[in-house]
Amino acid sequence: MKFNFFHLMPYPTLPEDFDERFATPSLTYPSGQFDPQVGVEVYNRYLDELEYADELGYDGICVNEHHQSAYGMMPAPNIMAAALARRTKNAKVMVLGNAIGLHQYPLRVAEEIAMLDHLSRGRVVSGFVRGIGWEYFNHGLSPVHSRERFNEAHDLIIKAWTSTEPFEWWGKHYEFRYVNVWPRPLQDPHPDIYIPGAGSRETMKYCAEKRYTFMSVYAPTPVVKGWFDGYRAAAGDLGYEPDPEKIAFAIPIYVAETHEQAHREAKAYVEFLFHKGLKQGLEIVLPPGYMSESSLRGMLNAGPRKSFGQMSYEDLVDAGMVIVGSPESVNEQVERLRGELGFGQIMALMCIGDTPHERVVRTMELFARDVAPNFRSAPVPA
Amino acid sequence: MTTSASEPGVDVRTERLQVGAGEIRLLRAGSGPALLFLHAAGGGGWTPFLDGLSRHFDVLAPDHPGFDESEQTDEMEGVDDLVYHYLRLLDLLGIEQAVVVGASLGGWIAAELAVHSPHRVARLVLLSPAGLRMPEAPPADLFIVPPERIVATLFHDPAAAEGLFPAEPGVDDIMRIYRNNTAFARYAWRPFLNDPKLERRLYRVTSPTLVLWPDDDKVIPRAHAERYVERIADARLEVIEDCGHALYGEKPEDITAAVLAFANGGTR
Repeated sequence: MKFNFFHLMPYPTLPEDFDERFATPSLTYPSGQFDPQVGVEVYNRYLDELEYADELGYDGICVNEHHQSAYGMMPAPNIMAAALARRTKNAKVMVLGNAIGLHQYPLRVAEEIAMLDHLSRGRVVSGFVRGIGWEYFNHGLSPVHSRERFNEAHDLIIKAWTSTEPFEWWGKHYEFRYVNVWPRPLQDPHPDIYIPGAGSRETMKYCAEKRYTFMSVYAPTPVVKGWFDGYRAAAGDLGYEPDPEKIAFAIPIYVAETHEQAHREAKAYVEFLFHKGLKQGLEIVLPPGYMSESSLRGMLNAGPRKSFGQMSYEDLVDAGMVIVGSPESVNEQVERLRGELGFGQIMALMCIGDTPHERVVRTMELFARDVAPNFRSAPVPA
Repeated sequence: MTTSASEPGVDVRTERLQVGAGEIRLLRAGSGPALLFLHAAGGGGWTPFLDGLSRHFDVLAPDHPGFDESEQTDEMEGVDDLVYHYLRLLDLLGIEQAVVVGASLGGWIAAELAVHSPHRVARLVLLSPAGLRMPEAPPADLFIVPPERIVATLFHDPAAAEGLFPAEPGVDDIMRIYRNNTAFARYAWRPFLNDPKLERRLYRVTSPTLVLWPDDDKVIPRAHAERYVERIADARLEVIEDCGHALYGEKPEDITAAVLAFANGGTR
């Protein structure tokens, strides 16, 4: 199994009265709330943590893209990846991912990822995402076109990476008469592609068809199981069984010396992540057209699900949405979840909400020393 | 808003018509000169407001492609496509000229239709129409209004909304709303509820025009109604008191009376 250290780069200091005053930390949370002095500290601190993960032997270090948000402060993930590419040695530099359909010029992503591939000597993983619903509000793009634009931008980027001659692109959303991207990537034919899914059948099928790595987003274990089963079933329909490493489980992880201490400390950070960071109304998460009618109907038929804000810390732990505990307990939880879900990679979020640096580092160290080695070469149980 | 209620005695016929690549639902009642009603973003269907009109007109109430019982097709991407769609529908039905009444999103379509083919429009009624680009007085962003605030946004008196929305929406209710909102987003997300070129083309509208604006419209500012009246040669503004943007959803009798008083001027 592979272990990757995932960073959201959250803005860690929200006002005391955040809950009463603000509907969300994204889209409309005023930029005046951003203190540049905090910014300069945390950007550098977070990069230190990602670099340290490489030193500790994590297989991958991961960044992602969000816009106009205190939840995640990486509008340009490739900049973070560039900073990491030159200062790390072994870990895959995973951009999970670029929101390709939000770009007016998606070839910029093809160019930047190819550059990163060279800077990192072939360690780049290229994630592609559609962007969260509210990112269609702040990009002035219709969510109705979300999937179309994603698919077209994807096809364009892949063709740009794999063509050796200039070509023309006459798409519905993009039109270029001269596509001839320099540089081409180092990895042949191109870096591995990872795509997150949140229940959409279209995405499962898409990943299975293209043999891309399918990643989960934060959700209760039975829900994630449904997604992973869906991906495996889609692959089965195509006549193959996906390598477990093509299934990546995203989960916040917090480790301390004892189980009690871990829970005592983690509670506030986990609540910060789910109650403040992910505080967002359905109207901005699921704007019209963002989800296909069949996926929405499937979701509604599955019955009501508590929103993050309605889940207490205990609910979140019970639902399997975080892994918290002593090294021993975390070993057990990983073992159990792996047995249940059948993933071959973990995308571990260890800077949960406003967790201070020292505690992030402790989680990283304890996990790297006392947990990861037990799973490195163990086969995923069938 | 859900809408299939009609008064006793009004015989509303449901027709399924192939228009271009897609099939649409057309609701039709009454006799007399043709009146094409273009519904707002909340959706189509039949309403008591149309009952009133059908006593004087052959009322045609189609669902826009993508809304309610009309198919969404790839060729319907913007309000310009809807204009061609409705010209095609009029051709198909053999209607040379109609009174065209449009509300909000439908008002925008109606105005564009009258700009494109002024001779097809006998009289034009715009109920708090969208469509103009007015950065100094933009419409409210209906896409970001949380469901629990929709009624307060659309109505002057929320009590008037009772019965128009399902109290405990089921899966099908939510799907209907989502589908209508998706169609709305397809036509109006960007440019947001406007065609930047519409205003400078309004000189083409030749029909007598009535613009109705409800005095408690929290979606479209009064400046839009005034601008339409300013730019259309033969237009006047009438303000409906104590009424929200829902217009015919909130005060069907008042709106029917105002539209009839104007539209009964007859076909030229």
